[in-house]
Formats: sequence, C-alpha cells, structure tokens
Amino acid sequence: MELIANLGVGFATALTPMNLFLCFIGCLVGTLIGVLPGVGPIATIAMLMPLTLKVDPTGALIMLAGIYYGAQYGGSTTAILVNMPGEVTAVVTAIDGHEMAKRGEAGIALGVAALGSFVAGTIATLIIAAIGAPLTRLALLFGPAEYFGLMVLGLGLAIVLARGSVLKAVIMVVLGLLLSTVGTDLETGQERLTLGLGELSDGVDFAVLAMGVFGIAEILRNLENPESRNVAVAKVGRLLPGMAELRKCIGPVLRATGLGAVLGILPGNGAVLGPFASYALEKKLAKDPSRFGKGAIEAVAGPESANNAGAQTSFIPLLTLGIPPNAVMALMVGAMTIHGLIPGPQVMTKHPTLFWGMVASMWIGNLLLLVINLPLIGLWVRLLKVPYRLLFTTILLFCAIGIYSINNNPYDVYFTAFFGLVGYLLIKLGLEPAPMLLGFVLGRLMEEKLRQALALSEGSFMTFVERPVSAVLLAIAAVIMVIAVLPAVSRKREQAFQE
Amino acid sequence: MPQRVLRRDFLGGLLILAVAAVAWWLAQPLPSGGNGGVGPGTLPKALAVILGGLGLILSVDALVAQGPGLGRWTLRGPLLILGGLALFGVAVRPLGLAVAGPLLIIVGAFASREVRWGETLVFGALMTLFCVGLFKFALGLPIPLAPWLMGY
Repeated sequence: MELIANLGVGFATALTPMNLFLCFIGCLVGTLIGVLPGVGPIATIAMLMPLTLKVDPTGALIMLAGIYYGAQYGGSTTAILVNMPGEVTAVVTAIDGHEMAKRGEAGIALGVAALGSFVAGTIATLIIAAIGAPLTRLALLFGPAEYFGLMVLGLGLAIVLARGSVLKAVIMVVLGLLLSTVGTDLETGQERLTLGLGELSDGVDFAVLAMGVFGIAEILRNLENPESRNVAVAKVGRLLPGMAELRKCIGPVLRATGLGAVLGILPGNGAVLGPFASYALEKKLAKDPSRFGKGAIEAVAGPESANNAGAQTSFIPLLTLGIPPNAVMALMVGAMTIHGLIPGPQVMTKHPTLFWGMVASMWIGNLLLLVINLPLIGLWVRLLKVPYRLLFTTILLFCAIGIYSINNNPYDVYFTAFFGLVGYLLIKLGLEPAPMLLGFVLGRLMEEKLRQALALSEGSFMTFVERPVSAVLLAIAAVIMVIAVLPAVSRKREQAFQE
Repeated sequence: MPQRVLRRDFLGGLLILAVAAVAWWLAQPLPSGGNGGVGPGTLPKALAVILGGLGLILSVDALVAQGPGLGRWTLRGPLLILGGLALFGVAVRPLGLAVAGPLLIIVGAFASREVRWGETLVFGALMTLFCVGLFKFALGLPIPLAPWLMGY
C-alpha cells in the first residue's frame, strides 16, 4: 500500500500544469533533436541541458527525463525510416524496421515501436516504484567498501558487455578512470594533472566530455562517409497495427520488457544489451526464424520494448544508490548537481516529491510520446529529408550554445572541441569510447569510496575482503572478468555479438 | 615493416602509451601516501602505469598478429569543425551570439564538400535568429547577444 501512496504523491507532483507542460516540452524537443541522424540521447541531453537551467529541480529532472525518452523514440524513428541508428540500442530496430519501411509499412513499424515502448514503460515504472523504496533502505546500509565493490562490479560488467576486444574495453575504462582524477583532490585540495589550467580545477565536465566524444566526433565521422541517407519511404502508411499484428507482438513485448528491465538495473550499462537479447530470444522462439532480418514485426516490437524498459530501470541505480549506470544517467547526475541535489539514497528520503514525481512523470512521458509522435510522424519524415550539410551545422551551433550556457564559460567550448578530436582519433583507431565514459563517470566516486574505506580500515586492503557484501561483489566482478578472457568464452562472445 | 607500423591497433596502443606517459609525468609531484595509505598521487600514478602497460600490450600484439590498416583519414572535417568551435569560443563573449553564431555555421559548413555559399549565408542568419529567440529571449539564458552594438 506504500506503493500506491507513493505513486499518489508522484502523480500529484507530476500532474501539476507546469510539470505536465515541462514533460510535454521535454518529450517534444527530445524527439525533435533525437530524430536528427547521428544524434543519440547522450548528445541530445547534453545539448538541451540549458533548457532546464531556469526551472525548479523537480521540473528540470522531469523535463530531462522527457528529453531522454523523446530522444530514444526519435532515434528509433530515424532507425526505421532511414536506417541510420543514432546509438547502439537502435541498431537492432534498424534491421527489421527499415525492411518494413521499404515494404511500405513504416507506419506500422513506428506504431508498434511506440505501443511496445508504452507497455514496457508502464511496467518499468511500476517496477521502479515497487523496488525503489526497499533498495534505498538497503543502500543506506552500504559503507564505502560496499560502494566500491559495487562500482568495480559495474565496470567489470561494462567491460564484458562492451563490443569488440576485451583488452580495448579495459584500456578505455582505465583511460576514463585516469581522466576522472584530473582536478582538485577532494582530501588535500591539491591540483592534479590540470596542466596549470584553472578551468580544470573542478575536473573535466562530464557534459563537455560526452558532447565532444559523442556529438562532435559523430559529426566528423558522418562527414567522412559521403551521404547515403535514403528516405526511400514513399508513404508511411497506416500507423495503428491491426488485431492480428497486435496479437503477434504481445508475447515479444512482454518478454522483452522483462529482459530489458532486469538488464537495465545492472550497474554497468546493461540496458544496451536489452534489444540484442530480445532479438536473439524472439528469433529462437519464432516458428520461422528466416523472417528475421526481412521485416519481422516481432523484431521491431521486442527490441524497442526492451530498450525502453532498460532505459527506465537504469534510473534505479542512480536514484537509489547514487551510482550512474551509464552515460545518460551521468548527465542526470550533472543536472542534479547543478540544482544542488546529490544523487543517492537520501534523494528519496529528503525529497520524496521529487523522487516520486519523477517516477510518475516517466509513465506520463511515455503516454505523451504515444500521443505526440503518432500524429507528428509526417513532420519527422520531412525533417529527415533535410540534407546533412544543413543538419550538421545546426547540430554544431546547438552544441556550442548548449555547452557554453551550462557554465557561461568559453573554455567549455574549447574543451568540447578538444574532446571531439580525441573521440575522432579513438574511433579512427578502433577504440570504442563508450566504456571510457563509464570509467570517467564512476572514477571520482570510486576513488572517494576507496580512500574512505582505507581510512576507516587504517590502510588495510583486507577491509574489502573481510566485509561480506564487498567481498561477494568483488568476487563476482573477478569471476566475470576471468570468464570473459577465457578463450572458449571469448569466441562465443564474439559470435553472440555478431548475431 | 611500414605496413606493420601503420596498423590501426599499433598506433592506437602508442597513443594510449603516450597519454599514460604524460599522466605519469604530470602526477610525479603529487604525494602518494596519505590518510589510509592512499594519497592524491596514488591513483593517477597507478592508473597511468596500468594504462601504459595495456597500451604496450595492444601495440606489441598488433605488430605480431594480423590487423586492420589505418583506413582513410581526412583533415578537412576535423580542421573546420574544431576550428569553427574554437572561433565560436573566442567570439562569443566579446562579439556575442550575433557574430559567433553565423561564424560557426559558415566555417563549419565548409567541412562538407557539398557546401554552397548563398545557402550557407541565408541559413546561418536564420539559424542565428532562431537561436537568439529561443535561448536569449524565450529561455533568458545570459549568453551575450551583441555587446558591441547593444551593450548586452
């Protein structure tokens, strides 16, 4: 009954006209930017963060969450219509979704994606509401050693789940950790690795890093490949799927929601895996697996639902433990910090209206997306026909204004350009930057907890093994890392990712 | 030998090794000991050593085994896009968005081979107007507009 009371508080907060309006604007603008080819949710959120600066904290987070869902949905739209997924999670949707679009069924693919996402979002909201409170109580019992263990596990998972070579994933995580040590030391106040630049004394700003590596570098990469965007969609067709199609999708949507929700809770960007897992599962279960890859409706409904469920449950580690499990959640940490909130278990106890308001707004956001997007698809299609030479200059200008406005500091723009170059070099040298972001995100918190734990134990590293919870977490991390580098498993892993 | 050296992963490893070396060198003045045995310098140094080691493994591995080459690189995109951003940063405070905006769009547009002068000028002006309306007036962000002309 606690659940219903809490959700009641949440809906009372989220349904005030102001918050409803912010949620609506967030979803709308998020979709608008997310639709642009090559702009994923991370770049969208970093770009649009200034929109929320003048709003109260609850409204700002509601709006940012709306931007996030909107960006994801916009990304799927682009994936289906032009086969240009803005981020990894939309890659799977692009396969069968674009085939459906070529057959003239773009509308149904988009409709099913929206409906599936809505169902998944509804269930995921309930999951967050149900396990948020107990997890928060658990988190309050965690000491620094346990936190450290949990974050090591998160990084271990991120390495195992990253695509490509394990060595490169480890390199990128360590690089991210190293980057996170730049700035003033928390304990002694000494400047570390700042090259004497006063602008770096607060460390590298996460929004700047993310925008450079994901926004600017992506433009550079797209410019190298001559434009092959193909909005070959003559007609979008009807949007609402018929009864037969709906019946085909119910099973996949529900299975995918479960998969995505569980993976999304993992600290270490498990949400990325949801769509792939759902695709593989549905292909295994299908009577005729050969339809997959040729426009199977289940292959759009499933992965899209898994994606949305994971996107939502990945708020759980952030809101209950204060640990951002992926880059998007790290941007949320940045936004919360701007508004003077420290993510962690105390958010729910000290700011219940903010916490539950945000949870409730997730469901409202999903409903709004359904309402906004289905009628607006024509507009998105037209937007996608704009040539890239106009789109990328627009993206560039928005990036520059957005980054400048976060701190009103031109140095942030220079650093963004620098990290754009870094991201471009990394991509060209085959080093996937995503794990670096996670290492960076968790780095500062990990060092803090490590040093706290060692101060408590008077310098004995045994504290991590003697405390049962941290020992178990570290053991799991060690086991998955060992398994990942075993030759037999790593070969299987490669196969799994190729599927 | 040249083909081996120009392999993607060999150079990737070298880049990582170089970053690690710089970080290690910068971390030298930081004390390693402290409260509980971990000081401000401990983690940067330890991470730099680990990173360098891993970079070395990647490089050596690429020399010994087969691997992809470097692929095609271009200078035009990075130069103009990053240069455009730098110009925006330089111009935004003294000259304001009214100048920095079109400047970024015009310089950036030349990163694409399909650039057209007339279109870029018109588009740059329209986009800047739109951004001024959105960020300056609708959202009230304190980004300078044209200090040399209007004082804000």
